[in-house]
Amino acid sequence: MRLADELVEHFFRHEYGRIVSVLTRSLGTRHLELVEDIVQTAMERALRHWGEAGVPDDPAAWLFQTARRLAIDALRRQRLHGRFLSERQVLQPAQTTNFEAPVFIADEIGDESLRMLFLCCHPSVPEEARVAFALKTVCGFSASEIARALFLSAENAQKRIERVRQSLREQALELEALNHPWMQVRLTSVHTVIYLLFNEGHFAARAPEPIHVELCQEAIRLGELLVGHRIGRTPETYALLAVMAFHAARLRARIDAAGSLILLDDQNRGDWDPELIQAGMHWMELAANGNDLSRYHIEAAIAWEHCRAPSVGETDWQQLLQLYHMLERIVPGPAQTMNLAIVEAKVHGPAAALKRLLAYDISQLPKSYPLWWTVLAELTQQAGDASQSREYFQRALANCQSPVERAHLEQRLKAT
Amino acid sequence: MAKFLLIYRDSAEPQEAPSPEQMQQFLAMWGDWFKKFETQILDGGDALQPTGRVLRPGGVVTDGPYVEAKEMLGGYSVIQADDYAAAVAVARECPIALIGGAIEIREFAGLN
Repeated sequence: MRLADELVEHFFRHEYGRIVSVLTRSLGTRHLELVEDIVQTAMERALRHWGEAGVPDDPAAWLFQTARRLAIDALRRQRLHGRFLSERQVLQPAQTTNFEAPVFIADEIGDESLRMLFLCCHPSVPEEARVAFALKTVCGFSASEIARALFLSAENAQKRIERVRQSLREQALELEALNHPWMQVRLTSVHTVIYLLFNEGHFAARAPEPIHVELCQEAIRLGELLVGHRIGRTPETYALLAVMAFHAARLRARIDAAGSLILLDDQNRGDWDPELIQAGMHWMELAANGNDLSRYHIEAAIAWEHCRAPSVGETDWQQLLQLYHMLERIVPGPAQTMNLAIVEAKVHGPAAALKRLLAYDISQLPKSYPLWWTVLAELTQQAGDASQSREYFQRALANCQSPVERAHLEQRLKAT
Repeated sequence: MAKFLLIYRDSAEPQEAPSPEQMQQFLAMWGDWFKKFETQILDGGDALQPTGRVLRPGGVVTDGPYVEAKEMLGGYSVIQADDYAAAVAVARECPIALIGGAIEIREFAGLN
């Protein structure tokens, strides 16, 4: 028997995702909600029991057994009501086999969570709801934690999760084996979800809460699970891991004591996490196998250029400019054009960068994109046109919802 | 030494279930509490299901639980302490109190 604080960090969260996945495989995705209730109850039981008696030697097995018993009880009750058997012969001996297997080897633990991740990337699952759903069922976040992490209302977070559940029910989607041939096709969507998850945490750093750092950690964990399985062990996944590691390495240095964002130029490079940079380098090497060149490869190379530069002044902007050109070709979009222009300004001066931005068709911009106008304002300021710069700052303000960012912009406007 | 019943009172308003992460934190809190007051906690007790039946005078059975005001009985533990002050000291550090729940502390009458 061990003490509760000896449990590994986030044990409940990760076990939640795993057990939900195992039970869902047995009961079918239409009973996902029942499964989640069962796992919740099993954990509440553990809470009371382990608090008093200590944590059992194999806490994961304890939880699984308890959840499994609760599931069998629930099924019996449902069967008494006659609803279940017509739908699915879950209690038939032949079909209970995977249900009865409480012992996992390390490999399978990862597989279980991955299955659920691939399910939520099924083409018929609404894309905008995938991140919330993955957080709930794979990562074990509650609706209100998701709401906090993604800046949604709790109600909205709940709605997104429900939308996915509904589409699973309606399309009768089930958890499939990972070696299914078209799982490979879905890998790209899985990468997207993981990267979105990471970026949600990464860009939330303006309102830093521990939960946002946890989002980044979860994304990296899922990436690691992915390369732990044959299906996900591709150069592209390694490249994705490398990008996330390099960015995560700088997370701590991005926030000052008052909680405000510190721009790259002003960050103390000594605060960057050397272990994560090391991990990123390792993954970048693995990503270099083969001929694939994905957006993640280029983004990893970009992040690496920043990590390896001893100071802003010593950054190889020429190299970065080339990388951003490549990135813009692979994934065209306003963010890439904007980043390219910023680096271009460093290499060739603000005029060249402004030319590029002004040539961009602004009807392609997202509805509210204050950053675009902020960058324009900065570049015109560098070019010496204060009145035009103020105009752009005002335009940025008109597009900006976040109070923290507004305050920042107003300050800049005043100083221009 | 007297025996006291700690009665845990939850809000009767529907609340979001604790998240797995919160549960892990609660677990650590329960573990600390049981360990610290090992000699005083006689029975860790149990939590109660949120639903039940109420048998009313005259033999009428209704769906429960019996809810008064805004709180309902959520669980209990049995402890021993010298007096109310000592019992309150134990209750004060109970996770239920730490996470904002109410605890009713009642001495056993010792009739039995």
